[in-house]
Amino acid sequence: MLKCGMSGTQVKVFGKAIQALSRVSDELWLDPSEKGLALRSLNSSSSACGYVLFSSVFFEHYQWSASKEMNDDGRSLYLNCKLGMKSILPIFRCVNSFERYVEKCKIFTTSDKCKVVIQFFCRHGIKKTHNVCFQESSPLQVNFEKKMCCNTLMIQPRLLAEAMVLFSSNEDVTLAVSPLNLCLKSAHGELADLTNSVYSEMLVGPDEFDFFQVGLDTEITFCCKELKGMLIFSEAVHVPMSIHFDFPGKPVALSIVDMLLEANFILATLAGNSSRSCSPQSLCLSQAGKRSDWRQLNSKAGQRGMHKPPECISRKTTPKRLCPQGTPVKNSAAEDHGSPQLKKANLDNIHEVPRSSVGDTEEEPNSFSRRKFSSMFFGAVSSDQQEHLNQPFASLAMASDSEDD
Amino acid sequence: MKFRAKIVDAACLNHFTRVSNMIAKLAKTCTLRISPEKLNFILCDRLVGGGVSMWCELEQENFFSEFQMEGVSAENNAIYLELTSENLSRALKTAQNARTLKIKLTNKHFPCLTVSVELLSMSTSSRIVTHDIPLKVIPRKLWKDFQQPSVPDADVSIYLPVLKTLKSVVEKMKNISNHLVIEANLNGELNLKIETDLVCVTTHFKDLGNPPLASDDASRDRDPAEMAEVHVDIRKLLQFLAGQQTW
Repeated sequence: MLKCGMSGTQVKVFGKAIQALSRVSDELWLDPSEKGLALRSLNSSSSACGYVLFSSVFFEHYQWSASKEMNDDGRSLYLNCKLGMKSILPIFRCVNSFERYVEKCKIFTTSDKCKVVIQFFCRHGIKKTHNVCFQESSPLQVNFEKKMCCNTLMIQPRLLAEAMVLFSSNEDVTLAVSPLNLCLKSAHGELADLTNSVYSEMLVGPDEFDFFQVGLDTEITFCCKELKGMLIFSEAVHVPMSIHFDFPGKPVALSIVDMLLEANFILATLAGNSSRSCSPQSLCLSQAGKRSDWRQLNSKAGQRGMHKPPECISRKTTPKRLCPQGTPVKNSAAEDHGSPQLKKANLDNIHEVPRSSVGDTEEEPNSFSRRKFSSMFFGAVSSDQQEHLNQPFASLAMASDSEDD
Repeated sequence: MKFRAKIVDAACLNHFTRVSNMIAKLAKTCTLRISPEKLNFILCDRLVGGGVSMWCELEQENFFSEFQMEGVSAENNAIYLELTSENLSRALKTAQNARTLKIKLTNKHFPCLTVSVELLSMSTSSRIVTHDIPLKVIPRKLWKDFQQPSVPDADVSIYLPVLKTLKSVVEKMKNISNHLVIEANLNGELNLKIETDLVCVTTHFKDLGNPPLASDDASRDRDPAEMAEVHVDIRKLLQFLAGQQTW
């Protein structure tokens, strides 16, 4: 049973978090615990996940009591509440006016029905009550040890936000870093569909950052939609944003950490050279219901459909792919990504790869080595998973051969 | 062909940005003509009858602190480029807080207009933002299509009312009819009329004022109360009015 209350200012931050998470996915998990209330979302291609934890001291009052009945698998310890973004986002649509208009907001769940009740106590004695039904679904945990990344940058969001107007939300953006500077640029670089796309690049010197630690000169490419969402949230809470990353292929973490809340967006990045993605490695994913469990999965296609929720992290392929002959090609998420190509390959033989050949990847294991994959690595953010984090991090995502999941 | 230019003054940059925004609202692609004294933005909607044509001329020394160009040849000292107008206006959007803006013609696998902005920043290292806008070079044989249009002698010249008001009136009229009649006279009166089988709507503007007539103007003999009228396509008029909102 969850019961918490917030003031107008606090619910504005809460609403902003939901808006930021809406850029990740259409589904939101409400995951309360003794530590506080966590909001989680995971996008459909599993290439981005968002997590915002509001600690119990963030709220004016916060109460979470686990249900009395305990099943064998301990599932009812958790709320397992999944809400549609379409239901919850309109409730927090006008967050900017919350400070003036809303005096108090209460959120609670009813013990018997699958319902979350959000009540706004507004000026002039107006009370607005929203009853949102939820689906029982255990949220996916994310494990990502940000402190183990070679490169950590902390920057005031305003500076990066100026750069982000260069890029439209559907684009992939490349972050290239060296000890001398950071370069944020359009992902397609010199190679893409050239005639109409602007290539933009912004260089930022190290003294503009609050913290600039570069252990590894590298370039990572990821979708800028979630980055924009996190920047907006970071500006709203007036906390600088940190970026943690390593080599291409390993996910990048965008995080803001404050006394009252912690937010992490973990995004898949395009994998680098094909040599790295040669051999299928293990993917690790844990579910809320089995928080102490780790699953080692074979990344072969066959096992993918077996478990719910899907435990194979993959980036979907798009039907129209441009790939140079004989060079590995990056498959990116279906809905809103372009077709970036990392290798500076010869452009003479660019042709469209018919969809069927993407599906052939599954049948021909040796073609794995010729293809690049984005990888997504999941692990728990919470500290009680430390013991599992010594496992090797290399991971491989599989290209999905179907468009419609 | 060479082109390099630099803007250091904030007001000039602002003005240039606003011109670019206006162009972007009017048409998807535009032609940029670079000559030693001037910069022109040219739109000509040759394809569809009744399209919007535009000729915009900027004296380069009013905007640029540095301006160097070398045209196709000594006799034809001009450069004609075709680009997507929105790309330029978006690139200039980042230049709001710029210290300097540099534009040059480059060739990075294909011809580009490289816009390089040096942003103001607190610390010693300044941020540099670069945009490579792809464009097409227009061959000399097509240059005749982009000459300055001649403005025909007018029967009536009148100052328009506040464009915002005009735009909201025309926008509502768009829902009723596709064609609009604009009529005006030398007494400062302007009417906008639409007519369908079911309804006629007229909006009257009075006391608008007319520009002074030149001494050899044929309309001197005209009866000031007599209206001159034209029929225009409402959507094209709205497209024009929408582009003016940046001022």
